[in-house]
Amino acid sequence: MSIPTHEEREEVKATLAFIRQTMESASSFTAISGWGLLGVGVLGLVASGVAARLEDPTTLRVWIPTAALAVVVAGVANAYKARRLDVPLWSGSFRKLVWVMAPVVVAGAVLTYALAGAGARALLPGLWLALYGAGVTAGGTLSVRAIRGMGLVLLAFGAAALLAPQWGSMLLAAGFGAIHLIFGILVLTRHGG
Amino acid sequence: MAGSLAAEDLDRLIHERIRLGIVSALAANDSLSFADLKDVLRTTDGNLSVHARKLEEAGYIRVLKGFEDRKPRTEYRLTAKGRRALETYLAHMEQILSAAREALERS
Repeated sequence: MSIPTHEEREEVKATLAFIRQTMESASSFTAISGWGLLGVGVLGLVASGVAARLEDPTTLRVWIPTAALAVVVAGVANAYKARRLDVPLWSGSFRKLVWVMAPVVVAGAVLTYALAGAGARALLPGLWLALYGAGVTAGGTLSVRAIRGMGLVLLAFGAAALLAPQWGSMLLAAGFGAIHLIFGILVLTRHGG
Repeated sequence: MAGSLAAEDLDRLIHERIRLGIVSALAANDSLSFADLKDVLRTTDGNLSVHARKLEEAGYIRVLKGFEDRKPRTEYRLTAKGRRALETYLAHMEQILSAAREALERS
């Protein structure tokens, strides 16, 4: 083979980068936003504080609006990052991610209704954390590795809160608040914002 | 990309940007729909159709047409021949970089 020119070398590098980017973009949802996770974490901490002040750590008057707001915050932040990285937001992997999370949300709503009706509200923090953790862990297989790690930690927190319900409200604040903040910083620093 | 790379053995069929993108995206997935590929490659329906047909004619990809919720759905899969072509193409790219590296070391 003749010696490649500088232009040819640069062209090969650009081609390989294009192949890598296309494969990543086609197989995983890379536009997960660290800022979005930080926003969700702040919302989680605020909601935990408000619920504690109301002396009802699992009050749905606080947690349902918080969950809705968290979806909006994460959605906007992810859309912004997707635009900045020039990757599609509504990609095949994002659609799969939605299909992973939607059944978890429905199961969570049904179980919340059933447990609250049966007078077992103390189990709600564990239930929410475990289900959310299971969804995030499964969804994490379609995104960056840090998300899978976050899911596993949330799952562990959920298991702990189910086994020791007296720690439920503290674990809820740690899971929906601190863990999102920690993994938000991780995604911010290691996965481009 | 493409065009100036002086390489006689280069597979010109997948050297073109959109076709290389189709093959690369399919190499990372079992299958992708027409809409998925359009999203990933940020291209038009017409452009994607034309290039996908060329790859299909070469036996690099397989096209499966069907219906989902009564709407037509086109699904693409990489064939063994297509995967081999991508591997050969990548090996060729590596060779060019190795040749450049050796030349730099010698100089």
